[in-house]
This record gives sequence, structure tokens and C-alpha cells, in this order.
Amino acid sequence: MSSRRSRQSSSGARISDDQIVQLISKLQQLLPGTRIQRSNKASASKVLQETCTYVRSLHREVDDLSDRLSQLLSTIDADSPEASIIRSLIM
Amino acid sequence: MNLCQQNANSKEAKMHNSCQLEKEFINKWVQGLQICNSSSKKMNLLERKKKIKLSADIAIASAKNLTTSWSKAIISEATKDEQNMTLVKNVCGPESKFMYAHQKVTSHKRTTSKKILKKCYGVHRKMKKMEPCRGSNLATCIAKRLVKKRTQVLKRLVPGGELMDEYSVIKEALDYILSLKVQVDVMKNLVNVTTSLS
Repeated sequence: MSSRRSRQSSSGARISDDQIVQLISKLQQLLPGTRIQRSNKASASKVLQETCTYVRSLHREVDDLSDRLSQLLSTIDADSPEASIIRSLIM
Repeated sequence: MNLCQQNANSKEAKMHNSCQLEKEFINKWVQGLQICNSSSKKMNLLERKKKIKLSADIAIASAKNLTTSWSKAIISEATKDEQNMTLVKNVCGPESKFMYAHQKVTSHKRTTSKKILKKCYGVHRKMKKMEPCRGSNLATCIAKRLVKKRTQVLKRLVPGGELMDEYSVIKEALDYILSLKVQVDVMKNLVNVTTSLS
């Protein structure tokens, strides 16, 4: 009991440690790959690090996909009926 | 038993929410793309890509309907450029007018005043940090510092994160990641469809 509570809640103590731990565990569930859940702060920093990596990779994916789309759409000048479908949809 | 039901319900609710978000995103993105492409017929690859990305970002932010800070940050950032105004107005609707006009002023004020504060107390803060780490507290201290460090990085990644406190930025990151996933999924599908048709 005392080992958990001995964590000193410093500045910003309005938000309890438990709330932060809950958030971190929710974050963990979103990340790709499976991990054993732990409630101490050491793994919280790991979860945060992986979150940052994941967000960066998602940003990169959006960038790549935008790239590919722009290439595909610029080459879609063909007169095929399928091309006209796409053209009418997003152009 | 109730807990299981609750879990199942919340999972269903989550699925429903993300389906809803997907639909909203698709509608708004298609709208945005049409607006972008109607303006100028000849665009080079880079311009086209920027427009696609911009319309996707605005679409996913606007699909959130002003419920999250990151989405508001994206829209207010987009409105800083005059050229994007038609796009934002048409995709987001007129309600966003009040939101981004206000956001522009306050966010700027907050960042400058924060910068000034940081400069003033930078040294003092560094000295304060060095103090409490001794003996048995060392592990907790290091862990706390790591968490703070990582949260700082996360703040830069989540739109509008610089203005948030630690707790909010983690909360916003949760929603932001879900929305990014939706965005990526839809974009992937469109790419696949376009590839298979061309």
C-alpha cells in the first residue's frame, strides 16, 4: 500500500497518478504490437516514446499516400470509363 | 457479467464512432478535393500532393466537429494562409469562422508569453531540476523526467500540443491517433481503387 503511495505527486497534482496511468494504458492499446501491462512510470515513458514513433509513422504514411495519389491522379488522363468515374468523383 | 457487457458495448460504440468518422471524413475529403481541383486545372505533382494532403487534414479535423483541440489547431493553422480560406469555409461550414478567428489571436499570445516566461525562468528551472534526485528517489525521479521528456516530444507531434498541459496532450494524442488511422485507411483504399482502375 505504502509503496504505491510513496510516489510524490509534485506540481500539477490536480490530476492523479491513477488517471495518468489509465490514459497511458489506453494509449498502449492503440499502439501496434502487444505488450504486458505495467503500472509504473518506467513503462509509461516507453509507451510515450512508442506513441511518438507511431504518430510520426502515421504522418509519413499520410505523406506517402498523398504522393502516390497525386501521381495516380495526374496520370489518369485516359479516356477509359473507369477513369471518368474517378474524375467525376474527386475532380 | 455487467462489466463484460459494458466492454462489449463500448467496443461496439467505438466501432460505430469510427465508422461514423470514416463516413464524415470521406464526404468532406471528396468535397475538398473537388474544390481544390476546380480552381486550377494545371498543377504540378508537388502542388497536387500538397492539396491532397491539405484537404485530407482539413477533412479529418472538420469531421471532429470542434470537439477536440487538435482538430481546432489544424483548422486554425490552415486558415492562416489566405489561399485556403475557400477550402476551409466550404468543408468546415460557417460555424468555424468564430472558432478560428479567436484561435488565431489567443494561440499567438499564449506562445509569445510562454516563450518570454521560458526565457526568464529557464536557468532557475534547470537548477531546480537538479536538486531532488537523491538516493531512493532516484528511480522515480529519472522516470518522471523521462515521462516529461517524452511528453514534450509528443507535444510537438500533436497539432496544438504546445499549448496543452501533459495530461491534455496525452488525451488528445489518443483521439488524434484514432483519427489518423481512419485517415490512412481511407487514403489507402482510394489509392488501391485508383491503382486497380488505371
